[in-house]
Amino acid sequence: MSRLNRKSYLGFIAPGFVIYTIFMILPLFTAVYYSFFKWSGLGPKIFIGFENYRNLFFDERLSGIFWNALGNNFKFVVVILTIIMPVQLFIAYWVDIKIFGYQFHRTIIFLPYVISSTIVGFLAMLVFNPNIGIINIFLKNIGLGAYRSAWFGDPDKAFSLLAIVISWQGIAAGMFIFLANLKGISQNLLEAALIDGAGRWLRFRYIMLPALKPALINNIILGTIWGLTQFDIPFVVGGTQGGINNSIDFMNLFFYRYAFGGSYYGETSMGFGATISVVLFLIILAVAILQISFLTRKFEKDGSEGKHL
Amino acid sequence: MKRTHFEKLRGSFSPVAVTVSVIFFLYCSISLYLIPLLALNSFKTKSDLINNTIGMIRSFTLDSYRTIIVEDDFLRYMFNSVFLTMAALTSLLLVSSLCAYGLSRYRFKGRNFLRIYFLLGMMFPIQLGILPIFIIIRNIGLTNNFLGMILIYTANLSLPVFIFSNFFSALPTALYESAVIEGAGELTIFFRIMVPISKPVFATVGILNFVMIWNDFYMPLVFLTRKEVRTLTLGIYRYMNNFLVNWHLVFAAVTLALIPILIMFMLFSRFLISGLTAGAVKE
Repeated sequence: MSRLNRKSYLGFIAPGFVIYTIFMILPLFTAVYYSFFKWSGLGPKIFIGFENYRNLFFDERLSGIFWNALGNNFKFVVVILTIIMPVQLFIAYWVDIKIFGYQFHRTIIFLPYVISSTIVGFLAMLVFNPNIGIINIFLKNIGLGAYRSAWFGDPDKAFSLLAIVISWQGIAAGMFIFLANLKGISQNLLEAALIDGAGRWLRFRYIMLPALKPALINNIILGTIWGLTQFDIPFVVGGTQGGINNSIDFMNLFFYRYAFGGSYYGETSMGFGATISVVLFLIILAVAILQISFLTRKFEKDGSEGKHL
Repeated sequence: MKRTHFEKLRGSFSPVAVTVSVIFFLYCSISLYLIPLLALNSFKTKSDLINNTIGMIRSFTLDSYRTIIVEDDFLRYMFNSVFLTMAALTSLLLVSSLCAYGLSRYRFKGRNFLRIYFLLGMMFPIQLGILPIFIIIRNIGLTNNFLGMILIYTANLSLPVFIFSNFFSALPTALYESAVIEGAGELTIFFRIMVPISKPVFATVGILNFVMIWNDFYMPLVFLTRKEVRTLTLGIYRYMNNFLVNWHLVFAAVTLALIPILIMFMLFSRFLISGLTAGAVKE
């Protein structure tokens, strides 16, 4: 009987479709609507056309904050793709070949991933606080007091420290993606190469790396989104202003300040906040399209060579 | 010694491998030092703590715990987090598994479009739409209300739908057809046959999202401003905001907050890993 009931798929999909559309997809577009208004969130909305956008890009004060925050996001993406990702692959490689203690390493490197960002932020304070933080106490105790620092209070150091703290928390996710991919590589092929005299590097470069294409594509895309949407730890460590001299300010913090925190010339501005989120959305969209088209093309070429190995 | 492990064994004890292993041990010691230190410090008195952040306990006290539990309402925050996480998780699992089942089991026009449509949320994190979401939630009167939070967490269903779909698509059609012949209704088939055989997938999606919802900071920060609905992450953040005054309290709060998540980690990290890698590596 139920076989005839061809529309029953609708009943299964409908609840998810409705909730997802209302709270996930439509907001991405209605944000565009709000971005054309001057609106504190309460009271009347005043249509002002593109003025919010003009202010974001050209207002002396606001555009400076905007470019600084966006710059930090991209700097962070570069750090993720050029430093964190290779480290993730490095860890995955050695865990995969089961070096001494690999189960322990895998577990403990994974551990911070389940710790909430507020707690990770607190650990960062515990370690780096200038007065009562572990590092400064330790330096003083071993007679290297001269090397004590303000750490997050020093705008030149804050960004690097933040990158370290954030990777300490999140490094395992990408590592496991590499690891899952490495497990699928044929041991016979690697053995044959070993017998033919191929060293560790050659085996990695010509057998493992080409086979890691799915994990690489995934980690590049996930890593980029990770870098462009930072909020929690910079907020907890550096406050709403994004640290001293906005050294750890990011787009999401900038957005939060203006949409919910009353920083737009002293008042909450939902309109301007919406503008920031629309611009961030468009940037993520553009980067995603570029990456996907570039990565799939590049890897298709490489892949055709790899198949004939 | 299995032949297929030749490569792995050969690699594991070379000088390079041993050096790497030592470096990893040193790196791991950071976590193994800091996390027990949190617990240790939570039993120090305030004055002891300030002069003696890294040493052993000189004067054992439970004052910090007493303060956050009796004078503040820390157990309430904990209960809020447990309740919110469980409710949101139940809703998310139910809605996303039904949705994925509908997408995988039936052939209909627009199916491929819908599958891609449900993937969009993996590309564009839900935070991007937070402002319109905030306005909707406020207009329907659900700020400072767990129902609003449950709706938002349920909407974040792209990855769950994706993982469930992969599983349901791989099931043999015969399983479904024999149930139809037996005369079982659509919902009966889903709850009596599909759910029981997909327990591992429920565990995978469930554990991954448990960790994400339990640790979430951004949504509670925006939507839960009243004390009665404050979650753990917010409670801890509030102490930290004025941490020079509350320095000793944060240690106790953080220690309490870590216990459930560490238990989860020890019991279920296998499912968490499969959630993190689900769909990422498929060829």
